[in-house]
Amino acid sequence: MKKVININFQGRVVPIEESAYDILKKYIESLRNFFANEEGRDEIINDIEGRIAELFGETLKKGSTCIADDDVNTIIASIGRPEDFDDEEANVKSQLGGEKKQTESNSNTSSQQTYTNEGDKRLYRDENNKVVAGICSGIANHFNIDPTIIRILAVIFFGAVFLPYIILWVVIPSSATKVIGSQRKRLFRDTEDKVIAGVCSGLAQYFHVSVWVPRLLFLIPFFSFVLNFGRWHFWNFPDFMRISFSPGSAFIYIVLWLVLPEAKSTADKLEMKGEKVDLNSIKNTIQSDLEGIGSRAKKWGEDLSKQASEMGKDFSQKAKQFSTEATEKGKQFATEASAIPRKHGSRLGDFIVLIFKIFFYFIFGSILFAIVCALFAVGVVVTGLIPAWSFIIADGWQTILAWGTLVLFVWVPVIGIVTWIIRKLAGKKRNSKTLGFAFGSLWTVGWICIILLIASLSKDFGYRNIPSEENIVLTTPAVKQLEVKMDNIKYYDEEWYRLQPFASLDEDTAYVRNVRIRITKSKTDSFSVKIVKLANGKNRNIANNNASKVDFNITQTDSVLTLGKGIAINRKDKFRNQHVIITIAVPVGKKIKLNDNLGWDDHVYVGFGNSDWNWDDEDGVVTNWRHNVWYVMSTEGKLKRVDNIDDNDNNNTNNTDDNDAENNAIENYKKSREEIQKQREQKIKELNEIDKQLNQTDSSKYRYQPAKPQKPQSKQTALLSIKKMNMSFLFIAPNLLLARVI
Amino acid sequence: MDIQNTQSQMRKGVLEFCILSIIKKGEVYPSDIVEQMKNANLHILEGTLYPLLTRLKNAGLLTYRWVESNSGPPRKYFVMTDTGLAFYEELARTWNELADAVNAITQTNNNSNTTENQTQL
Repeated sequence: MKKVININFQGRVVPIEESAYDILKKYIESLRNFFANEEGRDEIINDIEGRIAELFGETLKKGSTCIADDDVNTIIASIGRPEDFDDEEANVKSQLGGEKKQTESNSNTSSQQTYTNEGDKRLYRDENNKVVAGICSGIANHFNIDPTIIRILAVIFFGAVFLPYIILWVVIPSSATKVIGSQRKRLFRDTEDKVIAGVCSGLAQYFHVSVWVPRLLFLIPFFSFVLNFGRWHFWNFPDFMRISFSPGSAFIYIVLWLVLPEAKSTADKLEMKGEKVDLNSIKNTIQSDLEGIGSRAKKWGEDLSKQASEMGKDFSQKAKQFSTEATEKGKQFATEASAIPRKHGSRLGDFIVLIFKIFFYFIFGSILFAIVCALFAVGVVVTGLIPAWSFIIADGWQTILAWGTLVLFVWVPVIGIVTWIIRKLAGKKRNSKTLGFAFGSLWTVGWICIILLIASLSKDFGYRNIPSEENIVLTTPAVKQLEVKMDNIKYYDEEWYRLQPFASLDEDTAYVRNVRIRITKSKTDSFSVKIVKLANGKNRNIANNNASKVDFNITQTDSVLTLGKGIAINRKDKFRNQHVIITIAVPVGKKIKLNDNLGWDDHVYVGFGNSDWNWDDEDGVVTNWRHNVWYVMSTEGKLKRVDNIDDNDNNNTNNTDDNDAENNAIENYKKSREEIQKQREQKIKELNEIDKQLNQTDSSKYRYQPAKPQKPQSKQTALLSIKKMNMSFLFIAPNLLLARVI
Repeated sequence: MDIQNTQSQMRKGVLEFCILSIIKKGEVYPSDIVEQMKNANLHILEGTLYPLLTRLKNAGLLTYRWVESNSGPPRKYFVMTDTGLAFYEELARTWNELADAVNAITQTNNNSNTTENQTQL
């Protein structure tokens, strides 16, 4: 069953099948392209059309009711396709001498005329004006600018441009396909043979393989993802990023679905099936292209220098317009230069507009690229964190909301922007309203999900336990010095990427190293250690319960105090900002050293509501110390470095030993930083005041008095400043996200 | 060297000459030209012929006349102009010279080859 349409062809009404009409239209279009540079193009086309009309008439006379595909194909075969008479043409032309004009313009103008004058703004590699693969000039044609500028930019940014260039080389069709008019291939969705959206069958058509090949390629990773889902751990994280990146197949499928047009018309279907493109033909194209590179590059260099000298001459000619000497040469150059359209210096305004255009496209492109990369990175990290969710998020609604957030809030804009960019690159100027609406509404749902999730989580983090200090019994409290160590987490597998706090994830236990250390002066002559356990919860009872479950080992062997490797978090009780504050009292005159695996580096902290770290400090509490340095306790309750180097910035450093300029500069810098930190501290105190007023119900003995101006280390400051912003929802200590290369 | 390329070049070199000599005989329709050349075992595509005719016409060597047709749109019948005739005669002269020269050369080559063979025997 085929639709028959009537066309007015050469003044006659011809009944023709729709598919046959598409073939005919394509054929005429290919002839038009082939003879694009010919003087009598219209006449030639007209003559050929006339001949075709005559042949149609004969066919219809024989008794056919309409023109079918076969009829058109027979006629085309008898008249010949452009690629058939390509060679003959070239020779005949050169014989006739009509070629001369052609070659002149061919080198420069023809390509631009062909591509810019037409409505079709598809991107092509420009075969007529190429140095390597014609991508630069293709882009220049596309944006109506001078290829030289694109080339210069490409050479300057060689490193950044190299990979995209190779990709574009393979992806962008050569202009030759258009000029010769052979059937160029395009990717379509083949909805006639679809399971979901016809992406696979479209791919199969494109690469001339069985439909099952792309289907399997999509399904295998996807099934492996689904089947392995239960056993999916953090140490699988790198796999996640590899090509076999399993959920990626779904991602790629969705993007292709949105980007590829559906093969609706017969012409689309013909294009979809076009000539065979496989790896071999791609390879061949590239190989043959490469062969010519050397000579073309050389030619380009010569052209460039010629152009430059022409330009110079052109100007000088203008200056000495009346001198007879240059006129003749100038004329010659002028004719030559006229072949180069709108070249340099023709109009200053044009040039400025051009520069702005390039600048705009460059900046715009970079920004888009950065946004996509950032979104993608966020998406990958959040997706990679899925196994960690169950440590924070409760089953049921919260998990559903978390999935909603991940898919709708994070991935939908990624897919949306990628789709939009590809559509733009593919030259589709009009934006699809349905697509925009679909993305918009999905993203709105994503927003709702994330807001509900935050609300629900902040409830779960709403209350803090009532802290109580416990004494840790030391075996030999009277040692002369104490070295504080923390157990290292043992990593069982060597992966190049590791999310720090969850790196030690067992089946259902994560170790969080939320430990803070304070040092005070001991009232006796022996060391003493106290611990405060803190946690959040939905209500105070749960918070107290969470805190009581915190199990943190502290053991002393001789002069070494060993802290446990972290606070164990399991999936049942969830992570609720569990942290411990350890206070070590050091007797006067005794020494203490803190090893460098202690500290704020690995802190995990979810900044909801009221979960403050500060509490009423006693006098003489030292919270800023340095790693791996021996300190001795002074009578005033201050720590002094054993090696006598003063690292406390607030002391007046009048020691002339180390007052060289550099040290002073550093000192000044530290001081100014200190000032800023103090100011920040002040702000936070004010905030805490407000907090306190709001939480009058809190009648614990540890009131939220403004903390003593202490000098927190920069990381703590960062934490506080984020709290100050009061909109932090998830704070992960800085190096949580730092990839550790092993 | 590509043998096919050389062959087709040889054929194409005389294409124009052949077409002009067909037109010289009288008013002719392009598909008749194709037909006549096909009979003489010289194949040409209509897609090649039309642009060639247009070019020759634009060069002033040919002119055409519209003739009503009952099987389709009016046909273009081509006829030679005086300039075309002069051009054709020039070509014919060249062709004859060339043909003689080529024949002479190929002939002597054959002769010398045979004599050489004979002496060797």
